[in-house]
Amino acid sequence: MTVVRQLRDFAIAACLAILIATVAFVVVRNTELAARQIELASRAAAAIAEGNELPGVHAVIVGHATPNAKRPYLRTRQVYEHSTWRPLAATYGADDKVFFDAANRYDHERAMARAGIRAEMLPDGTGRAIAVIPVSTLPPRDAAAKSPTDTTATSPTETAAKSPTDTTAKSPTDTASSGPAPTDSAKPSGVAVAITASARPAPYPWLAILGVLGLGAALAAAGALVGGRATCVGLAVGIATLAIPCMLWQAWIAATLITLVGVGVALAQHAHLTDRFATGLRAHRIALGFLAPAAVSMLVLVLVPFIIGLVIGFYDHHHGTWTFVGLDNFGEILSGGGRPLDDPLNFWFIFGVTVLWTVVNVFFHVTIGVALALVLSRGWLRGKGVFRMLLILPWAIPNYITALIWKGMFNTEYGGINQLLDAAGLDGVSWIGSFFTSFSANVITNTWLGFPFMMVVAIGALENIPKELYEAASVDGASPWQRFRHITLPHLRPAMGPAIALGSIWTFNMFNVIHLVSGGQPGGATNILVTDAYRWAFERGERYGMAAAYATVIFLILLLWTVFGARIVKRKDDES
Amino acid sequence: MNLCFAILTLALAASGCERSHGVVLWHAYQGSEAEALSRSVGRWNANHPDTLVELVGVPYNSFGDKLTSAIPGGNGPDLFIYPQDRIGDWAEAQIIEPLEFWVDDARADRFSDVSLEAMAYKGSLWGLPMAVKSLALFYRTDLVDAPPATTDELFALAPSMRERNGYAVAYANHDLYGHAPWLFGYGGKILDGDKLAIATPEAAAAMTFARELVEKGAAPKGAEGPMVATLFNEGRAATAISGPWFLQDIASGVPYKIAILPTVSATGRPASPFLGAEGLLMSARAKDKDAAFAVMDALTSDIAAIERAKIAKQLVPNVHAYDDPVVGADPVLGAFRAQLANTVPMPIHPAMRMVWTPYKTALGEVVSGRAQAGPQLLAVEREVAGYLIGARK
Repeated sequence: MTVVRQLRDFAIAACLAILIATVAFVVVRNTELAARQIELASRAAAAIAEGNELPGVHAVIVGHATPNAKRPYLRTRQVYEHSTWRPLAATYGADDKVFFDAANRYDHERAMARAGIRAEMLPDGTGRAIAVIPVSTLPPRDAAAKSPTDTTATSPTETAAKSPTDTTAKSPTDTASSGPAPTDSAKPSGVAVAITASARPAPYPWLAILGVLGLGAALAAAGALVGGRATCVGLAVGIATLAIPCMLWQAWIAATLITLVGVGVALAQHAHLTDRFATGLRAHRIALGFLAPAAVSMLVLVLVPFIIGLVIGFYDHHHGTWTFVGLDNFGEILSGGGRPLDDPLNFWFIFGVTVLWTVVNVFFHVTIGVALALVLSRGWLRGKGVFRMLLILPWAIPNYITALIWKGMFNTEYGGINQLLDAAGLDGVSWIGSFFTSFSANVITNTWLGFPFMMVVAIGALENIPKELYEAASVDGASPWQRFRHITLPHLRPAMGPAIALGSIWTFNMFNVIHLVSGGQPGGATNILVTDAYRWAFERGERYGMAAAYATVIFLILLLWTVFGARIVKRKDDES
Repeated sequence: MNLCFAILTLALAASGCERSHGVVLWHAYQGSEAEALSRSVGRWNANHPDTLVELVGVPYNSFGDKLTSAIPGGNGPDLFIYPQDRIGDWAEAQIIEPLEFWVDDARADRFSDVSLEAMAYKGSLWGLPMAVKSLALFYRTDLVDAPPATTDELFALAPSMRERNGYAVAYANHDLYGHAPWLFGYGGKILDGDKLAIATPEAAAAMTFARELVEKGAAPKGAEGPMVATLFNEGRAATAISGPWFLQDIASGVPYKIAILPTVSATGRPASPFLGAEGLLMSARAKDKDAAFAVMDALTSDIAAIERAKIAKQLVPNVHAYDDPVVGADPVLGAFRAQLANTVPMPIHPAMRMVWTPYKTALGEVVSGRAQAGPQLLAVEREVAGYLIGARK
């Protein structure tokens, strides 16, 4: 029995350990392969610049770009390969395009003052690496091998480097040392480009993994057979055995993690946690079976994106490359990015606008909602059902449709609101022209959207107030205001508290209204945090890291608000 | 980063199993444009059974972002058709493939210079043009005998049109795209090389001119697409400035012709709208790039272009397509072609995407007479510059 239990615990831990080991292996082998390939490509590029070729690497020297006279964006290049110059063109080989683009990119980066030796993996998934280094002295032109197209593309530098006696195919090394010095050494006249052969990363070591798995299981079982304290030690050691391959790959973090898992599971077993876990699983397997689909979808749809978003916040994205920047994004956000406090791009300005937006909206939602609820709960009112239905309508219509309708109504020239103002003899308002009007337009729209919810909650709460209380109060001679203040309000509070907390979170993140009605205009001043995060991601140079960091900050703000806000509401309840 | 790399590798390994041979092309064409395209593709497929082209229609509004997210992960199409305005972004992000390696003068001569130039960015060529689009002047032959040749003549139309409760010209005057003819006609700019050049005296003069059009009753306030069409159809606008898409908005029975935009009287320069070009672009992660380029070459050939011009009335950039008697005689294509000589290629600098919204707000303020052009343009330039500082690094 103990052996079965031991093997069960070992299996649980082994699953985790193998997962860690596999990730470590993939990372290690990819990094190793990339490093090896890049090193090889760099060496080959350096060698070809000196005139030597390395086996298994396709390396050439690419001449400088000759712009087309009529169309400067069409450039041609010559390539020096197998001791001859030829045009770099599609007819010669599959690598020519890569050579051509690499030389172009090198020139482009030089123009942007980001010079230097560059080597990287080709992004095509073939496991090939490319290296580019500048060459200041180009091999001479071989007049005999010159093709007709060469004549047009021969540059002054190359002509200068050509020695008239050079008719035989001379080894490039000789010319590199004996050839005339380049006219301008600052500007390389060509680049050496090397592409390694494609390589597959090392295969997954199934046998090694199976071997250590068996060894670990044996150790764990042996521990269980000895019994007593050896059970735990055997389990810990057995699992730690799985860390051995990670050590061989020099993946120390993974090895440590696996060892920790081993020790952790052994300790858990010692404290009978694994037993309780197994019994719990067995006892509740039907309930867990029902929970599983929801749990899995929560995991996939909520938790995973959340974690990815969290991680992206620590990276910077620029034109397709991700760089780890630590807390830089958060620093830029919280410091306002060096912008003055009244700059609409400063986080604190936007935060202020967001808080104002939330407070003003929730205030209107609650006052209008409660007022309407009070009216609708009067006994004498006829046609209550119709009124209720009509008042809930704004809530029933998808909010982006409502937002678009309001946007049309706020149109300066042809919007319904300005036409009404016109008809009343007033001047039309340029709604998105200034902060105040633009913000008001957003608030009006969102109030329209938000009061029905508060009204419904309030109606529900009002209907639960016992009529006797009012009767007793009337008998005691309480005025209507006193009845409202001392009976209605205290009874509304328990229902309105959570509704306000929820409403404030919705409003805080009300993307649709801001994005569709004012669009953040004028000058981004009416953006709230979520719309600004969106703009960082999709309108200001795809700074996904910045946007993700914004999202994290918003999450933290709302987390604080729910924790402390709930407490404040609760304390008030306790007081009353 | 290593972890990301590992996950990516695993994902790639999983998706690598189903890799099709052939070339996948994404487009957002509909109706006759899609028909013309599929006809050209059908001909290619008949002749190249080993490299079949698969057409995938993708809704335009999600097109760009889908490409931006799919291609870096090694997914997405091999080729796609898209307007040139995101070439700058995509070239920097290495999402699209530079093409000049395959394009020699013989191939380049196929296209008009301005259309090919629209596909160039930072000294490279990133697409082959499929169609060009610009604004031109639509005029009602029952209201004006000849199209106004200068802006003074345009103003001269205003009094008689005012009597009919109408305007001399209807155009989207709150929109930078609609305003661009005046901006460039006055010698204004948006970008000078890589630098912003929004707030210039010329641009201010152009904006003030747009306001003058409204103030003198020559143009309606804040008109947008549907309203321009309504005014033109009801005979309340003698002329309208719009593009090829306007053709389907014109009601049947409305007598109209198309002409080039008038010359700006104050400067003597022609009003020059933006030239938008739709290009066939290659994904940087295309599987077989030589094959993909062969498809691009075939789909932008003169035969395919003539097909698109005939079926979809596309203003194709192929110079020799107009040697075809039917295409060459088409009055609509002829008018837009004449306008092409006075156009400004839409900048493909990444900053351009940030200009539209602020510029629109400024135009709205100035054209409706609530603000002066100079300070508004300065505000636009400052706002866009603020975004660019954000997008540095």
